Amino acid sequence: MKDIRMESRVDSTVNKIEARHVQVHYGTTHAIKDVNVDIRDRAVTAFIGPSGCGKSTFLRCLNRMNDTIATCRVEGSIRMEGQDIYDKSVDPVQLRAKVGMVFQKPNPFPKSIYDNVAYGPRIHGMTSSKAELDQIVETSLRRAALWGEVKDRLNAPGTGLSGGQQQRLCIARSIATSPEVLLMDEPCSALDPIATAQVEELIDELRADFSVVIVTHSMQQAARVSQHTAFFHLGSLVEYGQTGQIFTNPKDPRTESYITGKIG
Amino acid sequence: MPDMAQSSDTRARFDWTDPAYLERILKRRRAEFWLKVGGVVSISLALGFLALMVSSLTATGYKAFTQTHVTIEVPISAEHVDEADIFGSKWRVVMKEAVAQMFPDLDKAGLKAAAEILSDGAQYMVRDAVIADPSLIGGVLTIDVPVSDPFDQMNKGLVDRTTAEDKRRVDDAQILAFDSLAAAGRISAPLNWGLLTNADSRFPELAGLKGAFIGTGYLLMVCFAIALPVGIGAAIYLEEFAPRNRMSDFIEVNINNLAAVPSVVFGLLALAVFLNWFGLPRGSPLVGGLTLALISLPTIIIATRAALKAVPPSIREAALGVGASRQQVVFHHVLPLAMPGVMTGTILAMAHAIGETAPLLLIGMNAFMTSAAATPLDSATALPTQIFIWADSPERGFVSRTSAAILVLLTILVMMNGLAIWLRRRFERRW
Repeated sequence: MKDIRMESRVDSTVNKIEARHVQVHYGTTHAIKDVNVDIRDRAVTAFIGPSGCGKSTFLRCLNRMNDTIATCRVEGSIRMEGQDIYDKSVDPVQLRAKVGMVFQKPNPFPKSIYDNVAYGPRIHGMTSSKAELDQIVETSLRRAALWGEVKDRLNAPGTGLSGGQQQRLCIARSIATSPEVLLMDEPCSALDPIATAQVEELIDELRADFSVVIVTHSMQQAARVSQHTAFFHLGSLVEYGQTGQIFTNPKDPRTESYITGKIG
Repeated sequence: MPDMAQSSDTRARFDWTDPAYLERILKRRRAEFWLKVGGVVSISLALGFLALMVSSLTATGYKAFTQTHVTIEVPISAEHVDEADIFGSKWRVVMKEAVAQMFPDLDKAGLKAAAEILSDGAQYMVRDAVIADPSLIGGVLTIDVPVSDPFDQMNKGLVDRTTAEDKRRVDDAQILAFDSLAAAGRISAPLNWGLLTNADSRFPELAGLKGAFIGTGYLLMVCFAIALPVGIGAAIYLEEFAPRNRMSDFIEVNINNLAAVPSVVFGLLALAVFLNWFGLPRGSPLVGGLTLALISLPTIIIATRAALKAVPPSIREAALGVGASRQQVVFHHVLPLAMPGVMTGTILAMAHAIGETAPLLLIGMNAFMTSAAATPLDSATALPTQIFIWADSPERGFVSRTSAAILVLLTILVMMNGLAIWLRRRFERRW
C-alpha cells in the first residue's frame, strides 16, 4: 500500500484520521451514534446530511472543539496518525493548531489583516523574527488566494473586507499555523455564489497540502469539491464512500432519498 | 404536504367593517394615546424636579462662588516682625496698626469693632506674603484679604440693614466703617477661588473644598485600584471559566443581592473589619476607598459580565480554532473587546461611590480637617462628608457654601457620567 507512487499521488489512500465507535452526548441528548469513519490524507472529505444530523458535532470532535461545551461527552476513539487525540497526553490547544478550523460565518478578529493571520504563529512561537512572520503571513494569504487583494492594506481591519474575502482571510489564518487537517464547517453558507466559487476553487487547491473535511448543506458543493462523502442522518453515519459512488449509486435507501430531495 | 391539501378554512368571511371591530380599533388607538401621554407626563415630572433641585441649589449656592475682599495697606514694621522668627512675630499688632491707619478718626473701641470686618485669616495671609518676600519688612504691604462672614453676607445683600441693631450681627458703627471702605473703592467681590483651593476652616470666608477634593481623589484611587482588578477578575472567572452549577448560581444571586445592600451596612462592615480588626487608620481615605470598593464591586462585576457576554462567541471560537488557550482567548480577544463596556460600568460605579456618605460617616471620614491629607493614610474628608459637615455648621456663610459644594459634586458626577457615555459612543462596536 505505502509505496512511493502512492505517497505522491493526490488521491492518497493513507488514512489521516480514523474514528471508531464515536458517541457524543449533549447532556441527555445522544447526538452522535457509533460513528466509524476514515479521513484520507490529502483529500477532501464532505459531510452531508439534513440539519441537526450531527455532522457539525462530529466535525467539532476532530479538533476537540466540543471540549469547550461543559455538558458535552465524547466516547470512542479518534486517532490521528495513530495517536488518540482524546488521550490525556494530548493538549487540545496544540491539537487545534494542528487541526485548523474555518467556521460557517466569517469571523475575523477585529484586528488588522496582518494580525489576523499572524495571531496563530505568534501564540505558538513559530517564528523567531519579524521577517519570518512576514513571510508566513504572505505565504498564508497567497495560499488563501487573498494576497493580491490585500497586499497593499495589511494594516486595514480584517472586518472591513467583503464576506468572501473575510472567509478567505479566516482560511489564511487557519493555515498559518501549518495544520495537517483543515476542518470547514459550512464555509460558504454565508457567501454569495461568486465568493463561494472562489472558496471552492481554493479548497481544491488546498487538498494538495492538507486533508480537508468540509461540512456542507449543498450537495452540489459536496459533489464539486470532495473525493469522499459521508452521509449523516439522525446522528448516525449512514453511508460513506467515494463521492462519485454516493451520488450516482448510493447503497442505502436513506442516502438515495436525501440526494434526490425526498428527505431533509 | 398531504395535510395542507385537506385543511381548508371553513370559517365565515371576516367582516372588516363590523362596528364592534371598528370600536375595538378605536379603543386600541386611545390606549396607545394615553400611554404616550403618561410617558410624556412622567418624563416632564422627572425633568421638572431635576430643574427645581438644580435651580434651588444654584439660587442659594451661586453667592458662594464670589467672596467679598477688602484691599488693605499693612505697614510691616521691623519692630513687630522679626525675620528670624516669622511665626513668633506679633501679627495681631501688625493688623491692628493697619486697621488704625485705615480709620484714623475711630477710638479704641471703634477700631476693635472695625477690625472685625477683616477675616480672622487675614493676619496669616499677611504673614505668608512676608514669608514669600522678606524685603517687605520695614515697608508697606498692599494686599486683598477676605472680609469676615457677616460682612460678606451684608455685601451680598443677605443682611437687612433695616433690622433692629441688636437683631443683626453687624452693628451700625461697623456698617458705617464698611460703607466708608466701599466708598473708598477698597471693597471688591472677585471669584472665590478659595472655595476650591482652601482646606476646611471654622470661618466660612476661608473654608474651601481642597481637603475634600484630595480626600475624594484618594478615595477614588484606592477604590479604583482595588475594585477594578478584583471585579474584572471575578467577572472573567464567573463568565469564562466557572462551571455552571448550583454553586455558581448561588454566587450570581448573591452578587446581585450585594448590589442592593444599603451602603450604610458596608460602612458598619468596614468599621468592624478594617478599623477594629485590621486596625487601619481611622477616617483615612485608604479605609474609605476599601469600603467604596466593596460597594462598587457588585456593580463592576455585573457590568463586566454583561460586557463579556456581549462579545460574540464566534470570536472565541476563532481564537480557540487557531489553538489559543482559554486564558489567551480571554486576554487577547474577549477582554479587549469588552473593555469599553467594562470602563463604562466602572466609571458609573465610581460615580455612584463618589457620592456615598453614610459609610464614610461610620468610618470617621467626617472629621474637621483644616489641612488636606498628604497620604491616603491620613485622616481626611470627602466631598459628600464635607457637604454634611458644612450643612451642620451654624454660620450663615456655610448655607451658600453647602449648596456650592453640592453643585461642585454634581458637576463632577455629570462629568464622570459624560465620560462614560463618551467612552460607550466612541468604542461601541456593532457585530
